[in-house]
Amino acid sequence: MGKKLPLEGIRILDFCHIWVGPYASQLLADWGAEVIWVESRYHSVRGQARPNPKTVAQGQAFGYPDKEPGDRPWNRSANINRHARNKLSITVDNRTEKGRDIVRQLMAKSDVILENQVPVTAERYGLTWDEASKANPQIILMNMPAFGLDGPYKNYRTLGSHMEAISGHQIIRAYPHMDPGQLSDVFPADAGGAAAAAAVMMGLVHRKRTGQGLHIEFVTAENFIPYIGDFVMDYTMNGRVHQHEGNQDWSMAPHQVYKCLGDEQWVTIACRNDHDWNALCQVMENPTWTNDPRFSDSLSRYQNRLALDEYISTWTADKDKFWVMDSLQALGVPSGAVFNEKDAYNDPHLEERRFFEDVSHPDAGTHSYPGIQWKLSKTPNKIRRHAPQLGQDNEYIYKEVLGFTAKEYEKLVSEGHIGMEYDESVP
Amino acid sequence: MADLPLTGVRVLELSSYFVGPYTTRLLADAGADVLKIEPPTTGDPARHEGPFFHDEPDLEKSGVFLFLNTNKRSVTLNLESNRGQQIVRDLIKETDIIVESFPPGYLDKLGLSYKTLSEINPNLVMVSITNYGQNGKYKDYQGVDLTLWAMGGAMISSGHIDEYPLKLAGRIASFHVGSCVAAATMTAYWNALLSDEGEQVDISFYESWMGSIDRRTRDLLVHAYTGEQSQRAFPSSRLASGAYPCKDGYFHFSNGGRRFLDRLLPMMGLEHLANEPPWNDPVALVQPESAQEFDAIFIPWLLEYTKQELRDMCQEAGVLGAPVNTVEDIVNDRHFIEREYWQTIDHPATGPLSYPGFNVRFHGIERPNRTPAPLLGADTNGVMEHLGYSPEEIGLLRHQGVI
Repeated sequence: MGKKLPLEGIRILDFCHIWVGPYASQLLADWGAEVIWVESRYHSVRGQARPNPKTVAQGQAFGYPDKEPGDRPWNRSANINRHARNKLSITVDNRTEKGRDIVRQLMAKSDVILENQVPVTAERYGLTWDEASKANPQIILMNMPAFGLDGPYKNYRTLGSHMEAISGHQIIRAYPHMDPGQLSDVFPADAGGAAAAAAVMMGLVHRKRTGQGLHIEFVTAENFIPYIGDFVMDYTMNGRVHQHEGNQDWSMAPHQVYKCLGDEQWVTIACRNDHDWNALCQVMENPTWTNDPRFSDSLSRYQNRLALDEYISTWTADKDKFWVMDSLQALGVPSGAVFNEKDAYNDPHLEERRFFEDVSHPDAGTHSYPGIQWKLSKTPNKIRRHAPQLGQDNEYIYKEVLGFTAKEYEKLVSEGHIGMEYDESVP
Repeated sequence: MADLPLTGVRVLELSSYFVGPYTTRLLADAGADVLKIEPPTTGDPARHEGPFFHDEPDLEKSGVFLFLNTNKRSVTLNLESNRGQQIVRDLIKETDIIVESFPPGYLDKLGLSYKTLSEINPNLVMVSITNYGQNGKYKDYQGVDLTLWAMGGAMISSGHIDEYPLKLAGRIASFHVGSCVAAATMTAYWNALLSDEGEQVDISFYESWMGSIDRRTRDLLVHAYTGEQSQRAFPSSRLASGAYPCKDGYFHFSNGGRRFLDRLLPMMGLEHLANEPPWNDPVALVQPESAQEFDAIFIPWLLEYTKQELRDMCQEAGVLGAPVNTVEDIVNDRHFIEREYWQTIDHPATGPLSYPGFNVRFHGIERPNRTPAPLLGADTNGVMEHLGYSPEEIGLLRHQGVI
C-alpha cells in the first residue's frame, strides 16, 4: 500500500486535440487527476467518425483492431486510445448557449482548464482568461496555442509536421545528400506536452501558496525552440547556420546507423572517445582497415567518417542487430538496435520493468499498451482505466459533478447534448 | 505582484550534460533556486562541448553550457572525497529536490543513497535520471542521444524508405527527456508538499521516449491492434505533399485532397484548372502521375516566392503549409521578436548574446531576465561560508581538491 496518486482530487477540463495538449492531459491523468475530456456529438476530435467504406473494404482502415472500424469506430482508434487512458469523456453541444453555460458550470467545479485550439477558436468558445476566471477565480487556465496569444502569427494554423518545419527541425535533420523533401514527419514539438504538464503542476503549487488562480500561456513553438538551443547559440555566437546534419554529430565518429542482417534491421553505434573505438575494433576482431591512419584518432575518424561508415556497414551487414548491440555494450560502447514496434513489445528489459500493461476496452478488446513513463518509489502506479468511450462518463459528470436531476438529464439527451454516438452529420 | 510558482524551492543539481541541466533550467525559470554541483577543475562535461563562442574552446565559452545553465549557481565539489560527501549531506538539510543522473548504484557507493539522504531530510524528493532505469537488463548499458532514441523513439519510421533511418536533430531527444523529468519532478514534489514525505523518482531516457506521444505510442498501439509495423516515407505519391523548393529555401505542404486543391489553385491564380482533368476527377487526383504532373506546374510557381510570402499567402487562403525555417530565419522572425521571446543575457566571458526565451509564460507574475550561467565554482566560497566553514578551512579544502 503506497501513497495515493499525487493529483488525486484535482479536476481538469480538457479541450485538447492533436497532440501536444492530449499528451499533457495524459500525463496529468496518469498521475491521478480527474481529467474530463470535453467532447461534442457534432464535432469529432477523435479523427474520422466514420472511415470511408472503400478504405475499409481494402483493409486500409488505419489503426483499428484487426483493421475493423466496427460499429463505433471513434472508440476503437489506436491514435485516441493510446493517450486517453485514465481520462473521462463528457459530450456537450458547445455551439449552443446552453452548452456554453454547461461548460461554465464545469469550469466553476474544476481546478484546471487545458486547451490547445488556435486562439480565434478558443475565444469563440470562451476558453480565455477573462471568461474562465469569471467562472472560477481560482482556476488555472493553460492556453496552448502554436504561436501565442498575440503576435503576427497568433491565429496561424498549423499541424505537427508544419511545426517541425517552422521551428527549424526539419532542415537540420535532413539527410546530408538530399533535399528535405519526404522525410516522414516526426513530431517532437508535440512531445512538449510533458513540459506543459510540469507547468500545470507549477500552477497548482502557486495556487496552494497564494490561494489564487493562474493564467499560463504555453506556446508549442516557444517550448520547442530551446530544443535546438545549441544550434541557436551557434548562430547567435558565431553566425553559423546548420542544415542537413543527418545522423552526424559534431563531437563523435562513428556516429551512425548501420544495416544489419534481415529486412529493415538496423543498429546505431557511437564512439565518444578512443576507449569506445578500441572496444569497437575488438568486437570487430581488429580487421586490418582499422589500422588505416585515417582512423587513428578521434579527429581523423571524424574527418573520414563517410569512409569509416562504409567499413562498419560492411561488418554489420551479416550480423544480428541485437548481437551487435549486446556485444558492444558488454564493452561499454553506446550502441542501440533500431527498435521496431515488435522489438519493443518483446524487449526483456521493458518486460522486467513492467512497462507495457494489458488494458481491456469494451469496444476495442484487450491489448498491451505503453504504460506509465516514470516510477515513484512510494507511489505505485498503473493504467487505471481504458480510454473513455465517447460520452461514457456523461451520467457521472452531469448528475454527480454538476447536480442535474434525472429529468434535466433526459432533456439534455433529447436536446442532443448527451449521447454516445456522433450525430449523422459528422464525417 | 505574486512570486514565481517555485520561488524558494531549493534544488541541488548533481547532474551534467543535457538532460538533468535542462530539467533544472525549467525549474529555475519557474523560480527555483538551483545549486549546481560540478567536479573541481573540469566542471560539467558540457563545458567542454561545442559550439564555443567565437570557436574558442574554453570552460566558460561553451554555447551549450551557457544556454543550459542560466539562473543557476555553481559549487565545485569532489563527490568521491569523504568531506565532499559530508558537504552534500549538509546541503541536503536545506534541499527540497535533488536531481541526479549518475549510473544506478553510484551514489549508494558514496553513501549518498536516497535511503541515507531521506533520513537526513524526510521531505527530500530525489530525482534519479538514467539511460534505461534503476533496474533491468540494460541498466548498465551506455547511451548517447542517437543510440537511446534508436531504441526508445520512432527512428525506424523516421526518414525516407530508400535511405537509412534518421535521428532527431542535435540533442532534441535529450531535451524531451529533460521535459519529462521536469513533469516527473513536479509529480513527486507535489506529493511531498501534500504528504510531508518525499520519495525517489526513477525515470529513464529510454522509457521517456517509449511512452512519448510524438508518434511512438501511436505506432506501438497500432501494432498491438493490427500487427502492422510503421515505415519510413515513400517517394512523393501525393499531390503537393512534403517540402518543396521555393525562392529562398523550402516550403512544406502536407495535404493533397480535394479541399486543399480548391484553396491552393485560386491562391496560385489557376482556379480555372479546377474544372479540367485530371484536377476535376477525385480518383485521378490521388494517382502518383497526377502528383508528378502537378509538380511541373507547382515548382516553377513556387520558385517565384519566398518562404515568408508563401506563408502569408497560405494563411490567407486557408492552405495548410509552412516554411522550412533555418535557425537564422527563426532568430530573425518578426513574430518572436514582436513577442519579445529572445533574451539578451550578458555573460562575463562572452558579453551580451541572444538566448531562447522562457518555454512558458505565467501571466500576472513579473519575471526578471535570467542571470547568466555561472562561472565554474563561482558560488563555492559563499556556500561553504554559509555551511560554517572558515576561510582557512575553505583554503585547505581547495588545496586538497575537495572543492
